Amino acid sequence: MTLRTVLTATAATAALTVAGAAHAEAHGPMRIGITQNNVGVDSYQTTYEKAFIAAAEANDKVEVVVLDAGGDVARQIAQMEDLIQQEVDAIIIWPTNGEAVIPAVRKAHSAGIPVVVTNSNIAEAGFDFVATFSGPDNVTQGSRSAEIMCDRFKALGIENEAQVVQISGQPGYTTAIERQQGFDDRLPEVCPNVTLVETQPGDWNREKSQQVMEAFLVKYDNIDGVYAGDDNMGVGALNAALAADRAEGITFVGATNFSVGYEAMERGEYWGSIYQSPVDDAEAALQSAIELVSGTELPFLNYFDTPKITQDNMSEFTKPVF
Amino acid sequence: MEAGKLSKFLKNGAIWGFILFELIFFSVAGEFMSLSDKAFMDVDNMLLLLKQSAPIGIIAVGMTIIMINGNIDLSVGAIFALSAVILLDSMTWPVFADLGDWVIPVSWTLALLTGVVLGAINGLIVWKTGVDAFIVTLGSMLGFRGLVFMYNGENPTSSLNWTLVDFAEAQFLGFHTATWFLAVVTVVIWYVMTRTVHGRNAYAIGDNREAAVNAGIKVGPHMLINFMIIGFLAALSAVVFYSESGSVNPNDGQLYELWVITAVVLGGTKLTGGAGSIISTLGGVLAIQLLRKGLGHIGADTSTVNLVIGLILIAVLFLDRQLNTRGKEELKI
Repeated sequence: MTLRTVLTATAATAALTVAGAAHAEAHGPMRIGITQNNVGVDSYQTTYEKAFIAAAEANDKVEVVVLDAGGDVARQIAQMEDLIQQEVDAIIIWPTNGEAVIPAVRKAHSAGIPVVVTNSNIAEAGFDFVATFSGPDNVTQGSRSAEIMCDRFKALGIENEAQVVQISGQPGYTTAIERQQGFDDRLPEVCPNVTLVETQPGDWNREKSQQVMEAFLVKYDNIDGVYAGDDNMGVGALNAALAADRAEGITFVGATNFSVGYEAMERGEYWGSIYQSPVDDAEAALQSAIELVSGTELPFLNYFDTPKITQDNMSEFTKPVF
Repeated sequence: MEAGKLSKFLKNGAIWGFILFELIFFSVAGEFMSLSDKAFMDVDNMLLLLKQSAPIGIIAVGMTIIMINGNIDLSVGAIFALSAVILLDSMTWPVFADLGDWVIPVSWTLALLTGVVLGAINGLIVWKTGVDAFIVTLGSMLGFRGLVFMYNGENPTSSLNWTLVDFAEAQFLGFHTATWFLAVVTVVIWYVMTRTVHGRNAYAIGDNREAAVNAGIKVGPHMLINFMIIGFLAALSAVVFYSESGSVNPNDGQLYELWVITAVVLGGTKLTGGAGSIISTLGGVLAIQLLRKGLGHIGADTSTVNLVIGLILIAVLFLDRQLNTRGKEELKI
């Protein structure tokens, strides 16, 4: 009898120890959930997801729950609620709608779960509930574009008389406003004698930008540089200039490098842009979440680097996937 | 007769059996595959399930009447979006500036009216032209969506009102506000369909329209009312959902019509009309939301959800056909 009791007690203790170890192991890695905007709608987001999963797998300190809202706000809110309910350690959100997700983000905040907003920020009303924003700095992208433009003018020796036109993104979009602001502020600082003669919106649309550029070409006899909010619009402007046989001598610069822009650079028709990698974007978001969970203080705006790309250094970069 | 009863029982009970299967499957699979320590059948998780079922569920209840009628409404997603735009935009109209938070009931009423009017347009066209509801609502789906885009271009329409959000996030007896709306809608429409003349007429018309006309049922006005009901419910769904989120993208609600129809068909309502049940539709809605939630819980890729639901839908229709054919054979003998 005694022996049996001892044995039972030992077995129970052993079981407890094993269970305890298993428990500790199960609790070891930090759990991070992500709800993405719409994977598969464009290759930027698809590459982002792949890079995110790869980065998470490479790090055995984290386990990730990867969800995709499929562009549906209702589903994204439901996914936020599910992640809160599962008590993950941090949530990364790529908002489907910068305002509609604010109440869901507030819920996570009140549940004590830090939220990282990735790629595009939510509206200001929700800033109080966000731990950090991880994404590209649109203002820097704009000002770096201005530097690329100015350096090119200096190389061509026209930095004192050059005239520039600008094709901006869709009015009302933060991205459009910030990229324009960065360019407008930086250009006079680096090239004070270059004049920005006119700015018109191209609405992120290549055809619209082509029409805008056609109008510019009729209106101005002397255009030395074109700055576009992204390469899609920049290539639209390039096409207009090519059709009018005036592309020669015009410096085209975009604020985000697209594959069409990269190809035009290879052909020597387009000068430069800003390189924004979905891989960097994804890794920065995961890193931010990890640091938050580990207790590191992060700045509210936690930008990842977006370097300059021109015909001179483009061989260092792979062609963008989007 | 025994076999007939059994097949009927199978058909009506199938969806609940399926839900039970899902619950067991995800609970067991969740133990091994989920990163979460919480059980899938956690009370909070089940309460969330009901709440998340509300947007599709409220519309699906309305779609059941339409489909029992032998019609279909493809424009519910667009009505949902347009009502949401009216709801959120009207809260910032200068006319109502002095109302304070009393603007909320006003905006709700306007949004619900929008839904009723849009539904009435569908119903009137179906009634007066005799064109098939599928074609009419396919047209209005595109047309209403066009109105959404005309209203505010590609931009989202937003109005974040924390009083409203707090109301929508509230829990009464544990259940979320949205769940209560779903429950009330289900009970009311269930009552209408099973205990009133209007409900019985709906089945009669769907079963045999000629016979219904001969029996003196005013088929046109009857359908008009049903389209107004589903318009109202699509708007109510928008009211419930956007009270909590406060911002609508112009393409919100796209594909809702397909999710709603899927839920209704999963619940056993016949596409040809004449048969169907509100309660089973609720089962169909819960089954879809359980799948979405469960697959997310065990860490499956989100895209597999669509694949699985598609397969199950085909399986359900196949099962339904088999059971029906068997029933008929039974009668012949």
